[in-house]
Amino acid sequence: MSTPDEEACRSTGTPDPARRSALRLTIGYLYPSVLSQYGDWGNVLCLEQRCRWRGIAAEVLPLEVDTPIDPSAVDLFFMGGGADSQQRLIARDLVVVKGDAIRTAIEAGSVALLICAGYQMWGRLYRPFRGDDLAGLGVFDAETIHWAAEEQTKITDITSAGRGRMVGNMVVEWEGRRLVGFENHGGRTYLGAGARPLGRVVMGAGNNGKDRTEGAIYRHAYGTYLHGPVLPKNPALADHLIGLALQRRYGEVALAPLDDGLEAQAQAVALHLRR
Amino acid sequence: MALHPSQLIALGVGKGTRALLRRSGRGGTSLPGLVAERIDPRLTGELAQGISNGSLLITGTNGKTTSTRMIAAALRGAGLLPITNREGSNMLRGITTTLLSEASWRGRLSASEHLIGVFEVDEGHLPRVIAELAPRMILITNLCRDQLDRYFEVDFVASLWATALQRLPATTTLILNADDPLVAYLGESVPNPVLYYGLEDVRWGRPQLQHSADSRRCPRCMSDLEYSLSFYAHLGHYACVACGWHRPTPRLSAWHVEVGGLDGSTIKLQTPWGPQTLEVPLPGLFNAYNAIAAAATAYSLGVEPAVVRAAVGSVAGAFGRLESFAVDGRRVLLALVKNPSSFDQVTEVLLRKRNALRLVLALNDNTQDSRDVSWIWDAGFEQLRGRLEWVIASGHRAADLAVRLKYASALDGLASNPGGLSIIPALRQAADQALRRTPPGEELTIITTYTAMWALRAAFVRRGHLRPFWQT
Repeated sequence: MSTPDEEACRSTGTPDPARRSALRLTIGYLYPSVLSQYGDWGNVLCLEQRCRWRGIAAEVLPLEVDTPIDPSAVDLFFMGGGADSQQRLIARDLVVVKGDAIRTAIEAGSVALLICAGYQMWGRLYRPFRGDDLAGLGVFDAETIHWAAEEQTKITDITSAGRGRMVGNMVVEWEGRRLVGFENHGGRTYLGAGARPLGRVVMGAGNNGKDRTEGAIYRHAYGTYLHGPVLPKNPALADHLIGLALQRRYGEVALAPLDDGLEAQAQAVALHLRR
Repeated sequence: MALHPSQLIALGVGKGTRALLRRSGRGGTSLPGLVAERIDPRLTGELAQGISNGSLLITGTNGKTTSTRMIAAALRGAGLLPITNREGSNMLRGITTTLLSEASWRGRLSASEHLIGVFEVDEGHLPRVIAELAPRMILITNLCRDQLDRYFEVDFVASLWATALQRLPATTTLILNADDPLVAYLGESVPNPVLYYGLEDVRWGRPQLQHSADSRRCPRCMSDLEYSLSFYAHLGHYACVACGWHRPTPRLSAWHVEVGGLDGSTIKLQTPWGPQTLEVPLPGLFNAYNAIAAAATAYSLGVEPAVVRAAVGSVAGAFGRLESFAVDGRRVLLALVKNPSSFDQVTEVLLRKRNALRLVLALNDNTQDSRDVSWIWDAGFEQLRGRLEWVIASGHRAADLAVRLKYASALDGLASNPGGLSIIPALRQAADQALRRTPPGEELTIITTYTAMWALRAAFVRRGHLRPFWQT
């Protein structure tokens, strides 16, 4: 069902202030000052812009270490990638300070997009190549083991660090569509019975380089290893998440189509890259 | 010094490979070294022992090439004969190529007592190069996010460096940027003499870190660093509230830096060798940093301050790092960008004295460019909002650039202008089209990644607008 407000949204990429819809969306951006690698920030920009172009008021709420969360206030959580050392820093805060609020929100239908380290931390456990295991949020029934920990190998230089790492362009089949991006992770993620994969690996390693699965979905939480950032080159996934996030407050909303010509060109190039 | 038979073979094959590449009109900078290394990995170390005044290494994410050129010029001014890998390959194999082309077929370098090695070194290859060359001095400029598909994480590179520095001879001097916490911290754990340099001109501080900043953590305890001043990326004046570690006070400090857009800068320095002034003919704060780093290194090697000043004042830009040349009455600015912080710096300089750019942006995804192009999302394309007359996206990942520009709102207002945005992946075609659309007497700006820069440069060289790199 769509309302006249959404029908009025323009599709050219520029907002029309005269026909602004009354829809609002709050994006909770987890640890923006800590997890800022690999351009994952671009996913938040993509969500904001695609809302703006449709006259949907999107607000970004930074959720840093020690920031408490009101589970009813966040429509869509985002968490990006980072280094092992950064992961350790936020692990405690994520599980102890924010854990209950996030799990409550997800059970109540909030949406989440988790990339790489964010995805790993939303699983049950992360085992790094040195140091103790880190407990994760447990939203996904998934465990991630660093390849060097799994194979009990020592990492001493660039060459040995690169050996088991999963790095390269990736193509994933998701709901009959193709998602494109770049993966760069040392962790191998194994899904339990309570999680289903986001999609099937067409090219690349995906979750663990073995079972051809990539990412995880639990309720409206989506985890993936796709960098790129993933959303601008896969606008169908971006709009899927925006739609789910609006649904929580407004019921089913038909999003006005946008002109995705440039995004489609970028995706077409990415579909034909070498690994 | 006498080479082992296998080293003589490695040397001969390497020299032969280089001669063949040159004859076929190419300037191969790494293949000869790679071939020689494969035959005998000890060749580089053996040849380097013949350098009478030892070697110094220059590494870091940004500023290596320009600093290396300034240091070499200063040493030349002091009457030394620097051997440098100026042709660009900064992996061990590039240094090997340089050494084997300087050596005789028997492996002897010129017997001159004036020889000194001045080598630019890739961040990831520093440990191997240190092991082979046992350098007398190392300059480390900064450590920013760059090529994460090759180096994974800046913290990882920092830990590799820290391990490698433990193996240095105790007499090796380190020249370190005090404004970069990851670099400055390297000086804490080694017994070697350290000279810190840094920027003390508070007018360059910004209120907050830009989003390409990638190390805001205390390298000692991993807590948040507090910045009282931030210059660019994560460079600034910082202190850790949790453990008390803070920016070391630089003994060589730039207390006044006047940057005049594309025209270069004037730097006033406080140094252990007395107050000094440098005139830098290259644009931007990042080149001022390069000059400060180069001067710190040259002074430490005993070069007279007047000679350093002359060398810094006469150095030309490294190829593609903001080169300016004329093409049929149009001025072309060719700028190399490698990562978010170099993109931000270069773009800021380009925009300083201009209202709107006629711009070619070129993005390739070869290994030397970074195969992962997601870095463009950490670069401040937002700076270009409202500042483009038109833009041509080019290179293998031209469409990615177009998407980035769109989401940065840099295309707003261009959409109504036919040809406001064009996507032309073929580089030469993009350059031709851009030149046609630039009126005579006007300026065209090209911002490009590494391999696209070489392709564009080769096209300009072929038409006689530029000299090939081995003649610069």
